[in-house]
Amino acid sequence: MAITVKFFAGFREATEKREEVIEGVNNIASLLDELVRRFGEKLAERLYSSDTRELRKTVHILVNGRSVDFLQKLNTPLKDGDLVAIFPPVAGG
Amino acid sequence: MIISGFGKTGQRKLKAAHVVVAGIGGLGSPASSYLAAAGIGHIKIIDSQKVEISNLNRQVIHWEPDIGRSKVESAIEKLTAMNSKIKVDAIFERITSKNVDRLIKGEDVVVDGMDNYHTRYLLNEACVRNRVPFIHGAIEGLVGQLMTIPPGGGPCLKCVIPKEPPKKSFFPVLGATPGVIGCLQAMEAIKLITGMGEPLVGRMLIFNGIDMSFDEIKVNRDPNCRVCGRKSR
Repeated sequence: MAITVKFFAGFREATEKREEVIEGVNNIASLLDELVRRFGEKLAERLYSSDTRELRKTVHILVNGRSVDFLQKLNTPLKDGDLVAIFPPVAGG
Repeated sequence: MIISGFGKTGQRKLKAAHVVVAGIGGLGSPASSYLAAAGIGHIKIIDSQKVEISNLNRQVIHWEPDIGRSKVESAIEKLTAMNSKIKVDAIFERITSKNVDRLIKGEDVVVDGMDNYHTRYLLNEACVRNRVPFIHGAIEGLVGQLMTIPPGGGPCLKCVIPKEPPKKSFFPVLGATPGVIGCLQAMEAIKLITGMGEPLVGRMLIFNGIDMSFDEIKVNRDPNCRVCGRKSR
C-alpha cells in the first residue's frame, strides 16, 4: 500500500524532499511516525512540540485535499494511492 | 489592452469593477497599486492602523513622510496619483463581525490583506454569505500562500485551514515576499473580473523564496465545513 506525501515550506527544508512515497502505514499517526523515522530530528522538531510531544498547531495535514481536522485527525485512515500534504499555514500580511 | 483575450472589453470590465482591498499593509500595498494601475474603477481600501517605521520594509505604498498618518490616508494619495481616473474610497475602520457585511456586500472581489486569521475568517464567511469572491493571501519570512475562493465554487478558507494557527505578536518578513503574493492577488482579481485564465480555485499556491519554488496544494470543498459545506445550510 503506497501513500504519497508532499512537503511544503519548512517541512520541505527539514526533509530536503518535495515528496516521498511511504508504504506500510494505515493512518496519519503511523505515517508521521514513519516520516520521523526516515527524516529524523529535523522533521520531528517541526512536527512536535518539544515539551508536550503533541503535534504542533502550526502543522496542517490534508488527505486527498481534505483537512484531517474534518476527518479523524491523527486517526484518519489511509489507503493505497492516498495523497497527503503537510504544510505550515502562514498568517502575516 | 493588447493582451490576447483582454482588449477593450476587458478594460471596460475593470473600469466598472468594485474591489475591496482589506488591509493596506504588506499585501495590500502591491495589490492595491497594481489594481489601480490596471484601471479598476472603484477600489475600497480598509485599514484601521497608522503607518509606523517598522512597516516601511514591506508596506511599499507608505513612505517615511507618512509615519503617523493613517494607512488609508497615505494609500489613497498614492493610488489616486497613480491613476486619476479611478475612484478610491478610504475606510479607516477595523473590520469586525458587526461591519463586515456592510463593508463587502455588493463588491465584485475582496482581496485579503489581513495579518490575522480572526479577521480573515470574518471576511471569508462574509464573502461566502454575500457571494463575493475572496482572494486569500498570507505571508511570513520568505513564504507566501494564495488561494481564490469564488462564491459557490471551490473550497473556502475554512475548508483548508479550519483551525487558526497560533498567534504571533511579530512576523519576520522579507519585504519582497508580500510583494510577490500581493501582485499575484491583483492578478487573480483581474482574472476574475475579466474572465481570463484559470484562477486558483481548489488550489492553494505556496511560494517559497528560499528555493524559488511555486507549488500547489489541491484542496477540496469540505462537506463538513461550517462556512460553505452541508453544515452551513
